[in-house]
Amino acid sequence: MVDYYTCTGCSCLCDDIEVELDGENVKIVKTACRRGSNIFLEYKENRAEPIIDGKKVEFEEAIKKGQELMENSENFAIYGMDTIPVEAQKIAIEIAESKEAYIDNSSTYCLGDLVEMVLKNELPTATFEDVKDYAYVIFYWGVDPHNSLPRHMSRYTYYPRGKKRQRGYEEDRYLVVADVRKSHTAMLVAKNARFIQVDDDLKLVDAFIKVIDKQMPEKYADDAVRVIREMQKADFNVIMGGLGLRYGLKGNYEKFKEMMNKMNEVAKVYFIPAGCHANMRGFNETLFEKTGFINKYSFKDKESSLDYAFFELLKNDKVDTALVIGSDPVNSLPFEVSKKLAKINTIVVDPRNSFTAKIAKVVIPSAISGVEQGGTMIRSDGVRVKVNGLFEREINDVYVLERLKEVIA
Amino acid sequence: MSFAFKLVNRERKLEECTPLFEEEKYVRQKNKLIEYLKPLEEATETGLIVKEELCVGCSNCVVVCPVHVEKDPYGCGSGLAPKTDKLILKVENGVVHVVDMDMCRRYGKDRVLCVVCRENCPTDAISFLEG
Repeated sequence: MVDYYTCTGCSCLCDDIEVELDGENVKIVKTACRRGSNIFLEYKENRAEPIIDGKKVEFEEAIKKGQELMENSENFAIYGMDTIPVEAQKIAIEIAESKEAYIDNSSTYCLGDLVEMVLKNELPTATFEDVKDYAYVIFYWGVDPHNSLPRHMSRYTYYPRGKKRQRGYEEDRYLVVADVRKSHTAMLVAKNARFIQVDDDLKLVDAFIKVIDKQMPEKYADDAVRVIREMQKADFNVIMGGLGLRYGLKGNYEKFKEMMNKMNEVAKVYFIPAGCHANMRGFNETLFEKTGFINKYSFKDKESSLDYAFFELLKNDKVDTALVIGSDPVNSLPFEVSKKLAKINTIVVDPRNSFTAKIAKVVIPSAISGVEQGGTMIRSDGVRVKVNGLFEREINDVYVLERLKEVIA
Repeated sequence: MSFAFKLVNRERKLEECTPLFEEEKYVRQKNKLIEYLKPLEEATETGLIVKEELCVGCSNCVVVCPVHVEKDPYGCGSGLAPKTDKLILKVENGVVHVVDMDMCRRYGKDRVLCVVCRENCPTDAISFLEG
């Protein structure tokens, strides 16, 4: 019997990873992609150490300093939580609630808006298992899964044989890739497939609506007619929307919802967000269950607003203390904004010595999800995945957050 | 022409063409041929060349391989981790490796010029001698 582990490299959360160990050293990682393998192979590299003001201290001291900063904070924010388990995310939300703090994650500028529409049942959705077993048209819109989610196509969507799709991708699937450039995924468009080079996503949305209404669209007429015709051949089709779609829509989500509704009048089409960090959707769902909002939330004002997005809070000097966990904003946010983390009291909880850890006031080392800690994570299609850690460490995200919570509980 | 085919299939060696090596006037042609045939050294028996540095470990090649689908329908054929060790290709430490080329449809007497793994590798980590 083989023990399989879960890769937390991206939101695919592949749970069929085999790992061969030599003591505590990982020797071989089977089946995982290049990104996922290195999480296991290099888990000992670039580890964070307990630090206060740039000086190495004992773990307990770092926890105490973190507690002190949190306790004395008047405008507190928690950011990240993209790679930590749901159990830890819940504690972070409890801390934010007790402190009447702001809470946000990277979904605000990532796929949050698309996830929100799915969670509010404004778009019909499906699971990867359904896609594998039944989907005919597989439409990647504004996403290059070959690079950002390497096993997305081979494990869940286009290539694997499923219950009602047993003849392989050449006969039983129809691939559509809409992108601004000929990405690696677009290069896979061959037989029974179509590449749509988009320069305006809204015009493509409009083309689908007009074609279904039997009108002549301004652009993409041939593409829209062909794709709709293919969708009508099957009772299960899926659109995977990525960051290109999210930004390409320029906030006109009503138009996209109208397109999905129209498509579902003539065929059966589902939507799944494609992209994001391992448990970004986990945070969105956890906060949604608690507050009805998915991100950029203020427990003080009890509402979600762009003003409460972490980068806006930093830009406008609205926070005095920030707890950054499971994210590296100095790496991902514009430096003009993220450099302000060096001026405020920043507490970083991270297993790695991240860029944010290098400028933080307090660094508390934690465990790597899937390697040193288990828990529940939510895949980009909304399926809850039980993650087992390769080794279970006593000091993990749940432990650290529980300790920080002691002072405000 | 037959000698050229056998050369590419590695049934004959360039050294067996004696005039090429013995006569001064063929030196230029000999050097050109040695250069042309250099990729043969890194290719497998079926002409498959794997460039690990270009591979992202997506497993497309493993899942689409018709032999894998037949031998391991509930593992590789279904997109999951292989349930058998009898594979042509496998992904290990994030990159694809050749395991057993004898199973490839391009190998042996009844071979077919299958290129399905190469067709589904957009990063060109997989290529064949014939292009």
